[in-house]
Amino acid sequence: MSTPSPIIDIRDARKTFGRKVQALRGVDLTVDSGEVFGLLGPNGAGKSTLVKILMTVIRADGLDGTFLGRPVGHKPSLARVGYLPEHHHFPNYLTGRQVIQFSGALTGMRRRDRMRSADRLLGRVGMTSWASKRLKSYSKGMLQRIGLAQALVNEPDLVVLDEPTDGVDPVGRREIRDLLLELRSEGKTIFLNSHLLSELEMVCDRVAIMVKGQVAMQGTIDELTHDSRRFEIDVQGDAPDWTDSIPGTTTSPQDDFTRIVLRTEQAEDVQPLIDRLRAEGRTINRITPVRESLEDLFMRAVTEDDGTVQAPGGVIKSRTGRP
Amino acid sequence: MTQTLALLIDAYRLLNARKIFWFTLGLTALVVLSFAFVGINDVGIRIIAWDIEVPGVNLLSGWTEAFFYKTIFLNLGINIWLTWVATILGLITTASIFPEFISAGSIEVVLSKPIGRVRLFITKYITGLLFVTLQVGVFSFGSFMVIGLKSGIWMPGIFVSIPIVVIFFSYLYGICTFFGVLTRSTIAALLLTILCWFGIFVVQASESTLLFFVKYQEQKVQTLEDDLQRSKDRLAEVENPDDKERWNFLHETIEVRTKTLENARESSGVGLAHDILMVAMTVLPKTDMTIGLLERWTIDLSDLPQRNSNRPPPVITDDGEFEANEQEIARSMERELRERSPLWILGTSLLFELFVCGIAGWLFCRRDY
Repeated sequence: MSTPSPIIDIRDARKTFGRKVQALRGVDLTVDSGEVFGLLGPNGAGKSTLVKILMTVIRADGLDGTFLGRPVGHKPSLARVGYLPEHHHFPNYLTGRQVIQFSGALTGMRRRDRMRSADRLLGRVGMTSWASKRLKSYSKGMLQRIGLAQALVNEPDLVVLDEPTDGVDPVGRREIRDLLLELRSEGKTIFLNSHLLSELEMVCDRVAIMVKGQVAMQGTIDELTHDSRRFEIDVQGDAPDWTDSIPGTTTSPQDDFTRIVLRTEQAEDVQPLIDRLRAEGRTINRITPVRESLEDLFMRAVTEDDGTVQAPGGVIKSRTGRP
Repeated sequence: MTQTLALLIDAYRLLNARKIFWFTLGLTALVVLSFAFVGINDVGIRIIAWDIEVPGVNLLSGWTEAFFYKTIFLNLGINIWLTWVATILGLITTASIFPEFISAGSIEVVLSKPIGRVRLFITKYITGLLFVTLQVGVFSFGSFMVIGLKSGIWMPGIFVSIPIVVIFFSYLYGICTFFGVLTRSTIAALLLTILCWFGIFVVQASESTLLFFVKYQEQKVQTLEDDLQRSKDRLAEVENPDDKERWNFLHETIEVRTKTLENARESSGVGLAHDILMVAMTVLPKTDMTIGLLERWTIDLSDLPQRNSNRPPPVITDDGEFEANEQEIARSMERELRERSPLWILGTSLLFELFVCGIAGWLFCRRDY
């Protein structure tokens, strides 16, 4: 199986606004072709700045690497990109169809192609019946759908979406999520910037968490939560003495039971412990495999930040292993 | 080409969506239509069915129908309507083009497309000029048709007003674009542009006023020189050197007038101030002179009704006071203004516009959004 080539591969992205605000302090990021990549981070972490640099809306102070195989800022490459900014404001004198067609025209699409593409996308985002109405009559959710459609009009290889479900109702969010999965199945790369961690967890192949202008963690959710995987065994009464001798095991007394925690992701590793507890006639209340959610991961990344970027275990995480 | 065309179509949609665009166009049509109801006859100016006597303005006073229509087209249509009312409405309409374009949420989508910032800036800039081109185009074509159909006088020279007024508007639009990009505020851009326009107007008006005084001074010096020469001639004509009284009188008169002439020549403060203003004028856009080109190119001085001047020539009174001929000064000013090269007027003004737009474009291209 061949290794997917990176569609975004940037190193040491730096940006300072004015002389004081360091928005990016050396960001390294890799997004592989055909994956759904989620960029997370608290407000002010530098996510939007990074996206805007990739979209040539902002100029980086320093940046190495490539974007779609070309240096970042190479304008013709942007014909292969679809972009939905976070707080977009499309001209409200245009209709939904006109917005999509205008976006297509700016990427250099021929008239016939963009008309056909606009009609198809209007159906795909459920806006066909509103296509000829002006944007000023649209709800926030409708604007978001049109925004999504305009980002897809040029059949892009890379779709960059900044808060795509912002203002969209739960049904719409589900539809957008399904659309993203469809796009992934079509081989498109999706770069998502969102605060809705549960949604990202459902669709993202890989994520990066930015904190204070740096990437604190980067990898698949499995990779990032690997160290947190454990089994929790609740047994009646006090903990047996011998558990301390088992590597990776800790015990913590609770109200009327003891919780034995074994750090492993393999169920087989737990079986001898269970056998021994059963052999001693202890009552096992519950055995729970535990894995951190993306939200737990996010909160940990954010709250552990004390000036230095820390990943779990004190190591900066990178899927590629590069610094 | 597809991208540029898309931006221009978008610009049309933007203008089309604005009520003020149609309001201005409607008013322009009304002004054009008003030409159909105005004419000149032996009595004076005829408005619909009423004859209004205006001293010196009738066919018997040397006016021709063609000159009358040229005059109302230039004075009412261009000098008042297009260069003031329509320009202000045009600025109000177009002032928001750049601030809205670069506002957060709008610019990101466009900048993320495979289109360079320089091209975006130039295309957007042209968009604003298209607005006024359309307005002047409608006005000129309408005026050409209405005047032609009503009087049978077809004046293709009217169409010169299209490039001239567009160039005139472009000076102000360049300033408006600069402030729009700099402040990102429509109101600030509009107010600062009008302030600059007023500043330019003040400089131009001051230059005109000083030019009057320069010409006044020139006329005074010339009159004094003539007067002195006459006195010298008279002195030479005194045949009898024994007529001491007359000889002394003339001699004293020559002395006094020589001193007066020297004083007049040395009082160069006005000339210096005028020269300084001319330097300022060279740097600034020459809005009035640009519109003045239209008059220069459509009305020949020989077209002007020949009026008998009832003003006396400039004289130095017995008290030594100078009495000027203001009509002659006005003619002299007009001659000087007409002698100013169109290349200097348009070239330096366009250089100013290029400079201002260059800074605006640089800001637009270098800025982070």
